[in-house]
Amino acid sequence: MRTTAIKLFIFATLVLLISIGTTAQAQGGRVELSSLDRLTAKASQTVDVSIDERLIQTAAKVLSSKEPDEAKVKEIVNGLKGIYVRSFEFEKEGEYAAADVESIRSQLRGPGWTRVLNVTSKREGALEVYIMTDGSSIGGLAVLAADPTELTVVNLIGPVDLEKLRALEGSFGIPELEIESTKPKKK
Amino acid sequence: MKRSILSGMIFLFAIAAAPPVVNAKGDDFKSVVKVIEQIYGVKHQQLPFLARAGMKTARTMARIAGGQKRRIAEAGSVKVAFFEDHDFTSVKNDGNLRRSLNSMLGTTWSPIIQMFAPRAHDQSYIFLRNAGHKFNVLVVQIETREAWVIQIDVSPSTLAALLQTPDEMGKIISDDAMTNYDQE
Repeated sequence: MRTTAIKLFIFATLVLLISIGTTAQAQGGRVELSSLDRLTAKASQTVDVSIDERLIQTAAKVLSSKEPDEAKVKEIVNGLKGIYVRSFEFEKEGEYAAADVESIRSQLRGPGWTRVLNVTSKREGALEVYIMTDGSSIGGLAVLAADPTELTVVNLIGPVDLEKLRALEGSFGIPELEIESTKPKKK
Repeated sequence: MKRSILSGMIFLFAIAAAPPVVNAKGDDFKSVVKVIEQIYGVKHQQLPFLARAGMKTARTMARIAGGQKRRIAEAGSVKVAFFEDHDFTSVKNDGNLRRSLNSMLGTTWSPIIQMFAPRAHDQSYIFLRNAGHKFNVLVVQIETREAWVIQIDVSPSTLAALLQTPDEMGKIISDDAMTNYDQE
């Protein structure tokens, strides 16, 4: 009886570990944004949006497949596992440091991430889009938009590309990023 | 020994299988109200509420319903605590409320949107939890002179509509709840 109980215990532990591993893998496109928390005190406004897979699927279920606009959004959000937005507005320039941006950018230089868009202008700042791939499938997307008085990071988990991101702008807390069509550029 | 192994197994399975559903026993609404009272040294009031909210509600409901006016909150589910004519700027806005809310609600509620403007003394928090066939939504809004806490139940379809513009969610829910609520 004791041996059986020990075996069951080991089996339960393995099941738990496998389930934790699967969850971690599913969130492979997730960018850790907590390094930006310290900017909250300096920002004139902070917006933090977190919509997980369960909520996305709740929303997707009731979107109409017959209405063209809703059907398009429904198709896009169907495979999404998370939408996370962190945005800071500052009253004056210089309130955030290059190190703050670097804390995000360094993650996006990690394995699997590819920069597909990089626009920099002195007046309007930088806009970078990264896609995380796992083999042939896309596991996530991240947008880093930094101008002198505003810093925004958008992180979508799941199979999403630039076209889909454009279609989602203005919905689900994703700001209007005004990303124009450009040829992909490898980092 | 055998009992402790079995207890361990049950514990592990419980962690692995625990669904993110509501803890019906805890009254988080009252706890949130209490936290605001403690941090800002205020008391919520029993007040007849703003007639002007009705106008806003009609407009926002129509937009969400695609032209037809309807309520956001499920019948009888609205709880509102209102704080009027207090100076919410007198306490340094250093993220204390945000930390307290996240720590208190973090285990059963999901934070959907948190807006924080320390210099303007505006704070807005929306938390959500699954309650079986519906969802509980908790809105906390702090402004310069007034604040409110609202908890409502919404159907999945209403939640889906609200989620499409989460930045407007707090305002839409507040407008709706203020016209039909049970004061705590």
